[in-house]
Amino acid sequence: MAPKRAVLLCVLIFLFTAPVTAVSVERTLTSSENDLEVTLTVTGIPIGGIVETIPDGCTWAGTDHPDDQTRVSGQNVAFAVIGEEAIRYRVQGPSEAGEEIAGTWENLQTGESGVVGSDGPKTSGEVAQTATPTAPGFEWAAALAAFAVVFGRRCRR
Amino acid sequence: MTRKLLLLACCIFLLAGSAAAEAVPCDRDGSGTLTASELAAAILDSLDARFMGGTVQAPSPDDLRDAAFVYEYWDGKALTITDSSGRTTTLTRPLKRIAVFNSDTVEMMRSIGVEPDRVVGVSKYTLDDPTYFPEYRGKANLGSVWSPDYEQAAAVRPDAVFLYATISQSSCDDIEKTLASIDPSIRFFRFDSYRPAAYAVEVRTMGLLLGKAEGAERFLAFHGSVMDTVAERIASIPTDDRVPVYLESWNDYKSAGKGSGYDEKIELAGGRNIFSDTTIEYPTVDPEAVISRNPDVIVKIVGAGELVFGGYGDDDSSSFKAVHRAIESRPVWDQIGAVRGGRVHIIHSDAIGGPEYFIGVAYMATWFYPDLFPDLDPRAVHQQYLSEFQRLDYDLDEHGMFVYPYDG
Repeated sequence: MAPKRAVLLCVLIFLFTAPVTAVSVERTLTSSENDLEVTLTVTGIPIGGIVETIPDGCTWAGTDHPDDQTRVSGQNVAFAVIGEEAIRYRVQGPSEAGEEIAGTWENLQTGESGVVGSDGPKTSGEVAQTATPTAPGFEWAAALAAFAVVFGRRCRR
Repeated sequence: MTRKLLLLACCIFLLAGSAAAEAVPCDRDGSGTLTASELAAAILDSLDARFMGGTVQAPSPDDLRDAAFVYEYWDGKALTITDSSGRTTTLTRPLKRIAVFNSDTVEMMRSIGVEPDRVVGVSKYTLDDPTYFPEYRGKANLGSVWSPDYEQAAAVRPDAVFLYATISQSSCDDIEKTLASIDPSIRFFRFDSYRPAAYAVEVRTMGLLLGKAEGAERFLAFHGSVMDTVAERIASIPTDDRVPVYLESWNDYKSAGKGSGYDEKIELAGGRNIFSDTTIEYPTVDPEAVISRNPDVIVKIVGAGELVFGGYGDDDSSSFKAVHRAIESRPVWDQIGAVRGGRVHIIHSDAIGGPEYFIGVAYMATWFYPDLFPDLDPRAVHQQYLSEFQRLDYDLDEHGMFVYPYDG
């Protein structure tokens, strides 16, 4: 390449951004009486992890995600994502508790992480929440998610 | 005897240590294959330890990300590849800190979508060209293969160094030797990234190596659409009927002999190199010999040596015109078929000399056989290469000088 190309620095606009793949984890809630079915729709995360924190007063009731890709500890549930585009799980508790579920995700290929549900509830009965990718680093996202839970609870008091 | 046993024990210990270092990360059973179950366990352990108060021993973030890469791109196994120098290397982790001495390889990496943040250092030629390689501004300057900056190369702590395979071999060997003595863990890979005969193989190898196999195939489909079109249409032309071509580099009367890169490119475009009987790679030829061999087409390369103009940083066609005029005005050259027939063409090296050589082949094919390629638009090929694969916002209708005359 000729060094003279440098002359046209002002002419060329650098567009080198890796092909942008939309990355998100959307949470959809379906409630009936004392049961909540949660669907996480995973986009652009071929390999990663999701941690969902279900609110106090709710009880874990199971998932269709493979057993060896799921871990439950107290009110926290971790899912290992390996190619899945949707994860469904169930909790028992009041229907409004769905709004208090908080989650974070991490894309292990890019290092991106984000918060599930950062857009907040959209419709009653069925709630869609999306998260947009952020700079690498999972911890801050977890902190933000925790903050969202606390803030949400305070608002309801 | 005791000493021998001690030595043996040391060897076993070192081998064991080496094997452990070479294991696929998170492959818990040591089978050599990271299964979905092992990867899931590693992910869950990591999440558990960080966010759920778990006390399990979790993999490090680096191990986890490397494992994800190996699982996704290498089927969970170590990757063994052979580079263009014939060297075979086995990797159990992705390359994340690559030093690239070959700017053609930087371009090839971009064609398949390799993220620039995986490159920690580039050659001075890459840095000297911020218009074409803007994303590498600010990277460490490694110098060149002929004058490497070892201090910089060592300072960026590369996990891999990319060098040329067939040119400047002794210089590249010296670089390998010196850097390996500084850090024996550095892996070395040799790619030319511009030779047509090895091009597709190198693109695929690079794609596999860097987890960009899909990007490599996407790019090769584009590359193949051009090269296959040309190959199919010229296939029916008997060898003796092929257009005789005189190719001249940026130095007057310096042509291309048998086996040279430009000889190969003329052949790919369906031409017959009038100096293909010369075994010297780039011979300086007698003007009388050009006249007597009477080429139907003359192709002159500019953009280097004595003719540094044109390309991406120049919109002015006057220098191209001057070169064109000078060739047509050479004494007695008006007797040459190419001059009489108005078939003298100037092309910039940026459109034919490197990884983008197929653009030049497309141009030459249309110059050699205009009737065979009414639908082949080399400028459109060039534009697509820049926009889609080099990811540059550069409008060839507005800027740049690559060929003259242009009939588009």
